[in-house]
Amino acid sequence: MPLLPEHISALIGALSKLPGVGPRSAERIALHLVQADPAAVQHLATALVDARERVRLCDTCGALTEKSPCGICTDSRRDAFLICLVERPVDILSVEKSATFRGKYHVLGGKISPLNGVEPDDLRIAALERRIPDEHIKEIVIALGTDVEGDATSFYLAKRLAREGLRLTRIAHGLPAGTGLEFADEVTLSRALEGRREF
Amino acid sequence: MHLAHLRLRDFRNYARLDVDFAPGFHLLLGDNAQGKTNILEAAYLVATLRSFRGIGGAHMVRHGQKGYFVGSQVVGQGEHETKMYWSARERSLSLDNQPVRKLTDYLGVLRTVVFCSEDTLLVKGPGRARRRFLDLLLSQTHPTYLSLLQRYALALRSRNALLKRPLVDAAALESFSRELISAGEVIMRLRHELVPKFSPLARLAYRRISNDAEDLRLDYLSSVKHDFAVDLAQSQARERTYRSTLIGPHRDEVQMLLNDRPAGQFGSEGQKRTLAIALKVAQAEYLTGLHGSPPVLLMDDIMGELDLKRRTGLLPLLERAHVARGQVFMTATEANWPKELGRDVQRWIVKGGTLASL
Repeated sequence: MPLLPEHISALIGALSKLPGVGPRSAERIALHLVQADPAAVQHLATALVDARERVRLCDTCGALTEKSPCGICTDSRRDAFLICLVERPVDILSVEKSATFRGKYHVLGGKISPLNGVEPDDLRIAALERRIPDEHIKEIVIALGTDVEGDATSFYLAKRLAREGLRLTRIAHGLPAGTGLEFADEVTLSRALEGRREF
Repeated sequence: MHLAHLRLRDFRNYARLDVDFAPGFHLLLGDNAQGKTNILEAAYLVATLRSFRGIGGAHMVRHGQKGYFVGSQVVGQGEHETKMYWSARERSLSLDNQPVRKLTDYLGVLRTVVFCSEDTLLVKGPGRARRRFLDLLLSQTHPTYLSLLQRYALALRSRNALLKRPLVDAAALESFSRELISAGEVIMRLRHELVPKFSPLARLAYRRISNDAEDLRLDYLSSVKHDFAVDLAQSQARERTYRSTLIGPHRDEVQMLLNDRPAGQFGSEGQKRTLAIALKVAQAEYLTGLHGSPPVLLMDDIMGELDLKRRTGLLPLLERAHVARGQVFMTATEANWPKELGRDVQRWIVKGGTLASL
């Protein structure tokens, strides 16, 4: 096979570093781009650079935003004393889509993961500890995943954040809504049973 | 339950193979390196999606080809068709022409127990081999066991990583201890419950095969003496010294006693081999009791290692599989095949990647 022009190879190399893009897709996208309308490519390039330049993390909660503090942090209609703690910025979107949470957020930026060298100090825990007295926070809802590291991090936080006048809760886990028992796997079902509640 | 049809494409030394198997006893005869064990491996692959030779997919592709295909028809409670394709780029698995989304939906379609010469590691090898044997049996019979094991392994590795830091973060360590304990307690409880149920089956199987009065007993020896959480807290000073987690199900042992003496240390080679086979026989019986039908037995060249007396002791088990409409596949070379097996045997000649019925 004849070698591709140098600039195409460089483009393929850059594209294949993106998440979810393998060498084959990178090649397809690169070959499409070099043959596309120059204006469309220019538009894409500008969109990329603009997005990266304008989007930043909110200084208060850690969400993706164009201005800090972000729209959620400055929204006066929201319950200012209630914080939902999530792992990544995209998790805010998931909770927002449920449209049942009317408080504010705090992004942890990961979970404690000794195997990947992530320690408590690498997470935005200290920032959260400052927010508690500053904003007179009354309740923190811990909404981390239920894998080993998520569970360990939740437990760690529950101990570290415990203080007078602050309510710490954790989102429930169990059956997916609107399905029968036959679709739940055994682990989910046994957790749902452990977390059963009084009617 | 039996494997009714096997279809291989570019699997090991088989370019193409389509073969029907009836229930009952199948003897695969042939010289070395002709592909006898590959048939057993394919059947085991259908059952577990793994090779019992402990290797990855690339080794099972026929030399110079891109990928392999293994398809089967299994008759058990109902009839099922499985298809599996593997290549470096692509792999697919379907059951009754539907793609398989959850492994738990697939595993159990075909159940097998494999007997091979490496089984002696169960007796002679490190404790890891015996823990793995229990874990495999529990994974086959207990729906949540596998995910518990995975949670335990991750909590353990995380904890050990924390203990290896120059400065140990006690609070982070405690968070993972909690995970370790909650998964570990269930694992130990299930293993504790299994061993007393399993031990009499192994004892009986050992007696039948060896024809001896020697008494076999299995005991689960836990590294946890009283309470996992309490014992773990007490081992804190020692684990800081060794920089790793010192107690828990990953350190437990299954003790095998022959007339009250540890078989691994005091048993003769013959006793160890018999014991290994007895464990596998007990595994097959345990699964039969649980599911109501015997698993397919895959026996890789083990008869040659046993003397006539012990072989005779094994026969009733094989004949029983026959009566229950089970299935047994056994490989042997022409020189060492157990001729006492009798007439109800389907014999196959395996030669250079082909199978011919005799």
